Amino acid sequence: MDITLFSPKGTHSHHFFSLSNQQLQQSNGDQIALDMQTNNNNNIQPQNSCHTSTSRSSDSGEPCADTTGGNKWASKLLKECARAISDKDSSKIHHLLWMLNELASPYGDCDQKLASYFLQALFCKATESGQRCYKTLTSVAEKSHSFDSARKLILKFQEVSPWTTFGHVASNGAILEALDGETKLHIIDMSNTLCTQWPTLLEALATRNDETPHLKLTVVVTVSLVRLVMKEIGQRMEKFARLMGVPFEFKVITGLNRLVELTKETLGVKEDEAVAVNCIGALRRVAVEERGAVIQMFQSLKPKVVTIVEEEADLTSSRYDFVKCFEECLRFYTLYFEMLEESFVPTSNERLMLERECSRDIVRVLACDDDNNSSNNGNGDREEEECERRERGSQWAEKLKEAAFSPVGFSDDVVDDVKALLKRYRAGWGLVLPQGDDNTSGIYLTWKEEPVVWASAWKP
Amino acid sequence: MLDKMPEDTIPNGFVQNSVIAGSNNPPNTAAKKKRNLPGTPDPEAEVIALSPKTLMATNRFLCEICGKGFQRDQNLQLHRRGHNLPWKLKQRTSKEVRKRVYVCPEKTCVHHHPSRALGDLTGIKKHFCRKHGEKKWKCEKCSKRYAVQSDWKAHSKTCGTREYKCDCGTVFSRRDSFITHRAFCDALAEETARVNAASSMNSLANGSISYHFMGTPLGPSVAQHFSSIFKPIPGGGADETIDQTRRGLSLWMAPGSQGHETVGSNLTEIQQLGSVSSEAMYGDHPPPSDYHFNWVFGNNKQSSNNAAEAPAIASASLPLTGVKEAAATASHHHQLVSVNVPSLYSSQQQQTTTHQTQAAAAAANMSATALLQKAAQIGSASTDPSLFLGSLGFKCSSNINQVQDGNKYCGLMYCSNAIADRHLGNDVEISSASDISSLSQLQMPPPAKRRHLQSDRQAESAGGQTRDFLGVGVQAISCHPSSINGWI
Repeated sequence: MDITLFSPKGTHSHHFFSLSNQQLQQSNGDQIALDMQTNNNNNIQPQNSCHTSTSRSSDSGEPCADTTGGNKWASKLLKECARAISDKDSSKIHHLLWMLNELASPYGDCDQKLASYFLQALFCKATESGQRCYKTLTSVAEKSHSFDSARKLILKFQEVSPWTTFGHVASNGAILEALDGETKLHIIDMSNTLCTQWPTLLEALATRNDETPHLKLTVVVTVSLVRLVMKEIGQRMEKFARLMGVPFEFKVITGLNRLVELTKETLGVKEDEAVAVNCIGALRRVAVEERGAVIQMFQSLKPKVVTIVEEEADLTSSRYDFVKCFEECLRFYTLYFEMLEESFVPTSNERLMLERECSRDIVRVLACDDDNNSSNNGNGDREEEECERRERGSQWAEKLKEAAFSPVGFSDDVVDDVKALLKRYRAGWGLVLPQGDDNTSGIYLTWKEEPVVWASAWKP
Repeated sequence: MLDKMPEDTIPNGFVQNSVIAGSNNPPNTAAKKKRNLPGTPDPEAEVIALSPKTLMATNRFLCEICGKGFQRDQNLQLHRRGHNLPWKLKQRTSKEVRKRVYVCPEKTCVHHHPSRALGDLTGIKKHFCRKHGEKKWKCEKCSKRYAVQSDWKAHSKTCGTREYKCDCGTVFSRRDSFITHRAFCDALAEETARVNAASSMNSLANGSISYHFMGTPLGPSVAQHFSSIFKPIPGGGADETIDQTRRGLSLWMAPGSQGHETVGSNLTEIQQLGSVSSEAMYGDHPPPSDYHFNWVFGNNKQSSNNAAEAPAIASASLPLTGVKEAAATASHHHQLVSVNVPSLYSSQQQQTTTHQTQAAAAAANMSATALLQKAAQIGSASTDPSLFLGSLGFKCSSNINQVQDGNKYCGLMYCSNAIADRHLGNDVEISSASDISSLSQLQMPPPAKRRHLQSDRQAESAGGQTRDFLGVGVQAISCHPSSINGWI
């Protein structure tokens, strides 16, 4: 069936995104054969074509298992559209955007979801409305954001997937080993996991065979959404630490525009404290040019150990090449969405929330121009300028080495702990250890053989 | 020549050291073979000191004819028959059955001294392994490490089968997600003591906490909790039993905090249960007998109320391995803050999962919660309590006034228990440093002094610092021998 060119439907407006969903058939070969059937029910219920099992089911209509995106219609269309935008081929852009819009749905299967969220980003890119869109999305999210919802979300996520707990276990292990024997600990935490890392660390401290040390936890908040719930989180942490019998101090640092500006004084680091810096998913939010400086700042805190956990994707080196950046972004989020699909139950609300978070990130990466942000922004407040440019573990490792950090290998015990952790989840997860002289120091969490999260420990 | 012990002739690094062990042990009077306390060997016993290599050697028994080694003496004898020895040589030795005790080859170990020798070869082997050995055995599921294979096996059986129940009702099969949930759970936020059902305690299936509560229960409400909490449990239990145990303990706590009078008076009857310190917890009800209970333990770093009044009790006390110094309870010792009940079988400090929020009846009891939790965690031992208990060989003397006896044992008990804890080799080293330090602080008190202190104690009012009954300062904790039995 041939696809005839449609004339663009008026101006590109938000109206674009509210069309009904279509059911899709698997495409084969180069020709995209579309069997357009309207399915009126799709707006409400997610389509259950992708089973939440780890096996690659091919019997259902839309297997989500392919990660290369070779035969997937969404991937093809999206890439074509990206190319069109890069080439500024406006009729093609219109055409593809329209097609994607017809086929996409945030409640459908993987393809449809990816199509939906990337379409949004492409649209913003094409119309240069990325910044505005991002702001809108953020404010919408903030309105529905609460301690309860955030807690429920992250705990559920951690229950079904080791995506975050992998980094937690590795980092906690490294921190405990590096600070072993110290009596006054000070952990500088810059993470995006809402302090869910710390209960297990507190428990480990409480059950250490020697004297339970005093722990001071300073949380640096870089994401505006997180700031809202930090107070409550802090209270819970304090209570829990009391329960554990660990002398505990909790402090939150917000309102800091840039990580680079942190100092020992602003963080309240005392001379007799053993410092650990814990960065989970935080470095990617730092502006690319400032990353080296931030790492130098870590050095200035004289930590005993620095633990870095980041997601494995390179959206930095290609940031001036839209198509490359787009393809890498698509690759990463395809993995992520598939992982979510297979980890949660089909009707999970939490998964939906996580996917929506992704949509904001995707818009931010693809459609928001970093350089323009500072000038476009009226006020001097640069907090909102968090970019989302991930880098691969090897790239971070290089930066850290440049700043005179040397890698600390994870001990066998920690590796065993990580392995035991992965065993508790569904199949599909794996662990990759550094191979000898490999440049990347750190361990990788793999999903279906693809490295997705990188965890490492460093000492000055 | 064959009169000598076989070991004499075996050139294997055996060192024989005939020492009369422990001069302060009571002679075995019972006709029946009775188990001694661990580390309190029969003074008539022969002390054998083996080198580490020999100890760990699997084939200690060597055939003198062909040199073949065997793990057991019986096996060696069987083998020797095959050599067709002439009758005379067949007589192995005319050795009388002389009890043998063994010392630990590790010099820094308490059991190195003959007075603290252990009576069982397997026991000393296991002790050496657990305490001084490399942990070669690792649990697949949770990556806990063990030095003794039997410990590891025992753990593997129960690992992962344990379920954790939060107070909010959610059940977890994974410990880490349980802990994280607990920290954020709304149930934690509530400070009210929750009476959470005998059901949870009764389901203390694999509980490794074995207390046998002897003596009069504390009071009606408390009693029922006790009976369900303290069940004798054979052999090493699972590690993660804390939650329910704790809950049980918290239950016990809760009534205590409110009805302290009852508790107080009843507590005195429970003196046989480890009286930890002599400080009168219940000022208005000074226990009639010598011993007071100071159930308050906690982390003195915690800023609980009236910290100044907190008796600082070293956790090293017999039952309290791993518990830090006590924090005071809010209201002038009128509250049962915490009980380090499980600590008798301490070793596991790991299980600090916290169910105990309910135990924190009042705000002041935050420390109580922690204490309880520590207590529970200590109590959950993946160890074989019978090792400890059996070797105690004490019968709980309901008559506490046998101070005399108690005195003798006290120091030993203290030491032996602390060490016995270490016997129960666990993944986590039981004793904190404070254990050892207070252990060294502790000295055998002359009986007279102890009695004196006891009577002093009675006169004391509730206020003031707790003094350990040995009077050696705030740190050490008195131990009461029969109290140990109380927990059996």
